This record gives sequence, structure tokens and C-alpha cells, in this order.
Amino acid sequence: MDRIIVCVKPVPDPKHWDKVGMDPETKTLKREGIPSVMNPLDKHALEAALALREAHGGEVVLLSMAPPFAKTTIREGLAMGADRAVLLSDRVFAGSDSLATAEILAAGCRRIGDFDLILCGNLSIDGSTAQICSQLAEMLGLPNVMHVIGLEQSDGGKLTITQKIENGYVKLASGLPVVLSVRKELNKPRYIPFTGILAAESKEITILSNEDLCVGPECIGLAGSPTKMAGLELRKFERKKEKLEGTVDDIVKALVERIYQCGVIEC
Amino acid sequence: MDEKRSRDVWVFAEQRNGELHDVSLELLGKARELADATGSNVAAVLMGCNILDLAQVLVNYGADTVFVADHPKLEQYRLLPYTHVIESLIREHNPDIVLMGATAMGVELAPRVAARIRTGLSAHCIDLRLDENGNLLQVVPGWGGGVVATIACPDHRPQMSTVMPGAMRALPEEKRKGRIEKLSVDLPESHMGPEILGVEQMVAGEQPLEKADVVVAGGWGVGSKENWSLLEELARMLGGAVGATRPPVDEGWAREGQMIGQSGKTIRPTLYIGVGISGVMHHVVGMDQSKHIININTNPAADSFELSDVIVVEDFMKILPPLIEEIKVRIGKQ
Amino acid sequence: MEFAFTEREEMLRKAVRDFAEGEIPPKMEAMEENGEFPVELLKPMAQVGITGIITPPEFGGVGMGYVARTIVLEELGRVCAAFPMALQVHHMACAALNDFGTDEQKKKYLPPLAAGDTMGVVAVTDPSGGSDLVGTKTSAELKGDTYILNGRKCFITNSHLSDFWIVVARTGEGAKGLSAFIIDKGTPGAKLGRKEHKFGLRGANTGELVFDNCEIPKENLIGQEGQGLTVALKTISETGRTGMAATALGILQAVYEEAAKFANERSLYGKPIGTLQAIQFHVADIYTQLDICRLLNYRANWMKDQNMRCDTETGMAKYYTCNAAVDAAKKAIEIHGSYGIMKEYAIQRLFRDAMVTVPAGGTAEVAKVGIGRAALAPFKK
Repeated sequence: MDRIIVCVKPVPDPKHWDKVGMDPETKTLKREGIPSVMNPLDKHALEAALALREAHGGEVVLLSMAPPFAKTTIREGLAMGADRAVLLSDRVFAGSDSLATAEILAAGCRRIGDFDLILCGNLSIDGSTAQICSQLAEMLGLPNVMHVIGLEQSDGGKLTITQKIENGYVKLASGLPVVLSVRKELNKPRYIPFTGILAAESKEITILSNEDLCVGPECIGLAGSPTKMAGLELRKFERKKEKLEGTVDDIVKALVERIYQCGVIEC
Repeated sequence: MDEKRSRDVWVFAEQRNGELHDVSLELLGKARELADATGSNVAAVLMGCNILDLAQVLVNYGADTVFVADHPKLEQYRLLPYTHVIESLIREHNPDIVLMGATAMGVELAPRVAARIRTGLSAHCIDLRLDENGNLLQVVPGWGGGVVATIACPDHRPQMSTVMPGAMRALPEEKRKGRIEKLSVDLPESHMGPEILGVEQMVAGEQPLEKADVVVAGGWGVGSKENWSLLEELARMLGGAVGATRPPVDEGWAREGQMIGQSGKTIRPTLYIGVGISGVMHHVVGMDQSKHIININTNPAADSFELSDVIVVEDFMKILPPLIEEIKVRIGKQ
Repeated sequence: MEFAFTEREEMLRKAVRDFAEGEIPPKMEAMEENGEFPVELLKPMAQVGITGIITPPEFGGVGMGYVARTIVLEELGRVCAAFPMALQVHHMACAALNDFGTDEQKKKYLPPLAAGDTMGVVAVTDPSGGSDLVGTKTSAELKGDTYILNGRKCFITNSHLSDFWIVVARTGEGAKGLSAFIIDKGTPGAKLGRKEHKFGLRGANTGELVFDNCEIPKENLIGQEGQGLTVALKTISETGRTGMAATALGILQAVYEEAAKFANERSLYGKPIGTLQAIQFHVADIYTQLDICRLLNYRANWMKDQNMRCDTETGMAKYYTCNAAVDAAKKAIEIHGSYGIMKEYAIQRLFRDAMVTVPAGGTAEVAKVGIGRAALAPFKK
């Protein structure tokens, strides 16, 4: 393995989500004052990359599309052990939905070049679309596998991938390059070592704007986003307190529906 | 927008091992509703091998047309060939809306298709409706459920969504009439992607309490160790863990490590089901961040009801046995 | 004057907090029950850099300085104060070796401390009294090239978890008659005494060491013969007091969080008790003390990092923070009402942990002797 790209994203720290406010005029979320953390699943992706590098050598490059404040999060990734980072940052990227984001990330990947593997988290905890893996792969013309919970590389370079599906697993074999998104069951991310914090200070973070990437304006930002925000509501977190009525039979049937709607019955 | 564009609503009918996923049937119910509002048709896209007999089922649940791609190479779901078939269909027929379940398969497949077609996709929708211009409004939760966004895709077609299982309602009819169209499938080997080495069915084992997605917790109201085993069975059925307040631990029905609360564990599962729990503060602080809370208690004034999403005022001994059976049926069906 | 932490320090704090919150809570119940330190965490702590934080890189450490060390100990203490208690003594051994050891001694003993192979011990206190160092009765009589040690050390942190101990013993008369030695475990005549049972900081192993005609080669002297008091005082003053203060600071942070959370959660008269002025005043007091102690701690450690003389400042930080932690914990218990005295709630453990930090590592009275002297000096006639 020569080069692994790990896509990372800063997200607002979930411990502070109750402080999120909404601007009633612009209908956008006010994230000021809420510190950012690395999207938790991205840490698992980075851990997988570091483990592969330890076993088979190579270089681990972080890639992120975010405003400049992302440098703090990227430094954490470098402290964990990544070799260098590329940050794609430009005002014109703002408002990008997952399709436009995938375009931009694809341009970033092409710019980094010569990669064997791209790893990312299955989804980010704020947007939660889980669309980047498949869309990025499509833009790059590469195969992709999501929901990865097992990953091994043979000496010959082939990857054995375990994918989680409802009620079971699929085992797949893949050549390189390929784009994978990982679930938390894959591994336990290492804690940042203090030596890593010191080393990260001299690791390279290359910042690229669209002048460097030259992605067509019709493909980025709001113009490049087929999906548009038509409304935004803060859900006041109140318990529904729905009382189930009727016979035992009625109640049981309704209970099963409620449980199913929670998404915990895997079928 | 081209007036002659189709207003048809399509549903990707997900099947594994010859069994249709519930969500596909639910989506047909919604598709029916959306299509009827604009006087258009509902089509289902069914892929696999030897799955022709599922087509009539899809018609019964609302499809006017079922496109069937039946081919040995499609027997197991594989991302690239499935994307290829759906892409060809979309380009040929230009549907207005394409829906998929937000399942492991749908979450991987829908974005690939959307990127290939260069259209918009919203994920994990909990509601769909049409606006006054006939555009699809897609309601999605974000930020762990604290935010609800409405997404639209005004300038691109088809409008695509993956939808949460259970968000829509299936509307079966005894015998509907529909058209079943068998497609000829042409897949070059180079477009197949990673090779499938094997598929394993496995029911999730008991997870540690802090990591479990589902927790069934019991309190003093459970009454005895024999009764406690009902909670264990329910947890097992749901692939979750069993939790307890202090009295069951003191009584020996549960272990110290299963205690939830101030001096025990703090949990944030997707689903918490409390059985016979009064809801004192030092238990509540350990579980009030659970995403969904159901409580079953004979006392209508139980404090635990104050923080519940679903309240059942009933003897759990009457509820749990049939509930376990119903869930078995639900899971067994798949 | 800049009061902000650097980006490096913020990253360090976050890294330690993640580690502490991830690894320590599952161990705490057993630590309270058994009083045993979870040695299985030594290697993970070494991997992250906790055990070697002040040890120079050429000996396997991270060499990050005392402000960094304070951040580490504070964050560990916020989760479980037994950890910084144990680690700060470990660091004392590192400091003594680093400041006074020969190259051979450093090469032999610093790497295993940094690597988490063993815990460090600095055994100063005799039953005759820790506050009266010069009155140490443990004796080391030189016979040829060997010292014969006799005596007993008590209240020694990490006593039962270490492969070697740094021990202060009397080789001559008066203040210039103390010497410091490295004693390997298993040396004939060197024995582990009883384990001591504290009512707080339960997971930090504390016990006795007993020396019965224990023969120590001359090479095991740290520093010169007669330099023992300097070794002890410098190590205690710069590394020991700052370590204890940081431990208490972590407890104080935890006390504040418990108090504020409870005040916002607990309802009386239909509202959270945090809406009552009396409770607000209690929390305001705790919050103010926390800030004072934080400033005292970081300023003292900053001075140490600048190689400035700081024994007055470390003395103030130690006695003040430990007492402030106890006062804050007491207030917090009162905020909790009867919940505060229940073992289910963390606040009672924080109170007990805070109380143990008061005499441990140096009494307030001894600190005030030094501080008083320094305060009077400028105006002496």
C-alpha cells in the first residue's frame, strides 16, 4: 500500500448540541461557540489507515473540505499519526450538498494522486446523509463498499472486507484502488499520543482553494447542489408521551410498530 | 421544467434471498399516494435471480408496472451492476421520483445512482409530501434528531430519497392489476466490482449495556426472578441488553453491572423500554438521553411516564409475552 | 502577561481528557472496593505519554514540561484523583533521577519509568514524621563500599507497585547528614511492609517499606552523600507539591461539575434548585475557588518551566488548592442534600479524595512556614 487518503470532517461537538440555535431570518443553524471535533467515524477510518500503514507501509494523507477552522481537527488527525493533510477551503464551496462535496473531494483526491485506498466514516453525525462514499467513488470511477466492519490486506495487495448488513455480514474481496466507508465496529481508534501532538506541529497542511482545483462553478456550492434546503426547524426535544389505548391486542400491535419505527428491528 | 416529463413515482424493491424488505412495500404505499395526487403511475424496480413471483406482490402493494431484471449475475446484490441497471431504466423512462429504503443496501446504492445521473438525493427521510408546484418535499432529521430539515430538488430529475423503514405505511390490496416487464440484462464482467466471498446470517449477540442500541430495563415492579426472564427474552429478540434499577440488583434478579443510574451506568440507546420502573431521579439521570423511551407500568402516575415517548399503563405480564411473539413474527418474516 | 493556553496545550488537554474518560471509569468501582491501582493501565498510559511526561526524550519520555504535566494530572484527577496521586509520585522519581542521577542511573532507571514497566517511588517519610525531614531515623551506615540501611518508611505511594525505590536515609548528623539512595526491589533486607488503607484516593496504592540490614552499593547513591535533604526538598517542592496541587485541582473541577449539574437537574418547589440564590452563591463560591486554584497552579508550574525559583508559589498552590477542594466538596455535598451522603453519588468520593490530599505530600503548616518566611523577608530590618 503506497498511499491511503482518509476523508475527515469537523463536526460540532455533540456534547454541546443542546446549545445549537437557529437564525430565524436565514433559517440556518448558528454553530458559534460550539467547539468542533473530528467526526467520530472518521477516527475509525483513520485508525484503519494507520493500522494498514503499520502492517504494509505507505503514507496516510488526510483530506478535508471545510472552512479554515478545520485546521484544529486536522491537527488532531496528524497527531493521531497521519503523515500530512490537504484542506480544501474556499468560500465558493459553501452551500455544497453531498453531490457537490463529492465533486470537490474527488478533485482533491486527483490532486493528491497515486492513491491506493480512500477511507471515510460511514456518515457524519451532523448531516448524516451517508452519501459521500458512494458519490465520491462514482466521481472517481472507482468501486466502493460501505458499512465496513472488517478490513485486512493480504501481502499481494488484495483487500478482504467484511460488510455489515441487516442480520448478518457479507465478505468481499477487492483489488485497489477502492473507496470504503467504515462503521465503529471496525476498530478502537488509538488515543492521541503526546509525541504525536508535538510531531503534528511540523507536519504539512496544504490548503487548496478552487483556484488550485479548478472545479467548474456549476458543480460546486449552491449552484452545484441539486438538493436545496426548503425549510429548517429546531425540534424542541420534548417527549411525546403518547399513551397507547385499547385492548391488550391493540396495545401490543401499536408497540411493535413504535419499536419498528425506532429502526431497531433489523429485517 | 418539461411539461411532457413523466410524473411517475418509482420504488426500488429491495430483496435478499427471495424475500422483499418491508420498507419496499411501505414505499409503494407512499408512492401510490404521491402518484394518485398527480394522476401518474407507480413503478417498482425488482432485481435478482428467479424472483419473478415477487412481481405480483409488488403490484398488489401498489405498483402499476414492475420492471424485472432477472439474471444470475444479479442474484446477490452488487453495487455496480445494480447501479448500471437502474441507471439505464431511469435514462430510458425519466421518472419524476425514485425512492429506496434507507437500508444497508439502499444507503449504498441510492447515492451511487444519484451521482451517476447527477441528481439530488436526500437520506433517511421520515416524511414525503408534494408542494404546490408538485415538487417533492423530503423531510429528514439531522443533528441526532434535534433538527428537522425539509429538502427539495427543484431543478433535477428524478428526485431521489432513501426513506426510513417504518416511516411510511404499506397499502396492500387483495389483487391489483399491473404490468410486469422483464428486462434484458447485459452486464460486462468488468463492471461488477468487488467479489462476494460469502454471506453469513447472524443474530447480534448480547451487547454490553453502554453500547447496546436497545435496552430493556426493569425495576421493582417486575416482582420476581421468573418474571425477569421475560425482559431478558425481549432484549434478546431485539438484539439488546438488559438493565436494572437498584432494587432488582439487591434482589438478585440482575447483576450490579446492569444497573443504570447515578451509581451505575449511563446509557444512550436508540430505544429504552422500562418495565415496572417508577422513575426516581437517580435512575433517570442514567437513561434520560435515550433516543426513544417506552415505559410500561401499572401506576398511571409513575414519574417514568413524564419522560416517555410511549406510555403503556398495563401489567407488563399481559404485554410482554404477546409482544415477544409479535416481534418474533416480524423478524421471522424477513 | 498571557493567560491563554497554547494550541499545543489545548490539544494535550483534549487528548488526556479523551483517554481519562475512555479508560478510567470502568476501573473505578474496583479501585474504591479494593484500594488497588489498575496496573493494566500503565502501558496504555505510557503509550500516550503520561508516565514519561517530564522525562527527556533520550530516556524514552516526552519531555513536555510542568505546565503540560499539570494539564495531564488535572484532567486525570477530574475523572479519578487516585490516578494523578499515583502518577505524581511516579514523576517525583523521574525528577529526582533527572536532576541528581548519574548518567548510568538515568540510563538504567528512567526508561522503565517512562515505558510504564514499573511505577516510581520516592520514600521520604519515616514514622518519626514527614514534616520533620531532618529528624529522619532511617539510617544508612557506610561500611567499605556498601551502605547498610535500617529503618522503615510509611505513607509511601506506589510502594507495592515498584521495582525500585528512591529512599532518603541518615548517613551523618544534622541537615547535611541525609542521603538519597536507589534501592532495587528484591535486595536482601529490603521488604514490603503492610499496605495502608486510606479513606480517600483509594486506588492509589500506599504502604510501608522496611529495611533490615539492607546492603546498598555506593553506586546507588543519588547525588552526593549528605545531599539527601536537597534531593528531597527540591523533588518535593517542585514536583511533589505541584503534583498534589494538580490532583486537588482535578478534584475541584469535578466538584464544580457535579454541583452545577445537580443544581440544574434537581427540582424543588417546582423549579431547579439552581434558581435559588442560596444555591447560586454556593456554586459561585466553588467556581471562584476553582479559578483561583487554576491560576495558582499554572503560574507556579510556568515558573518551574522558566527555571525560576518557585518553592513559595508551589507551596501556596499546594496548601490552598487542597483545602479549597475540601471546602468546595463540602459545599457541594450540601447542595446535594441527603443525596450527597449516599455512596451512589460521586460527590462523597470527591470529598474523601480531597481530604486525603490535604496532609499528603506536605502539610499546609509546613508550607506556610516557607511562605511566611518569604513574605516577611522583603521587609526585614
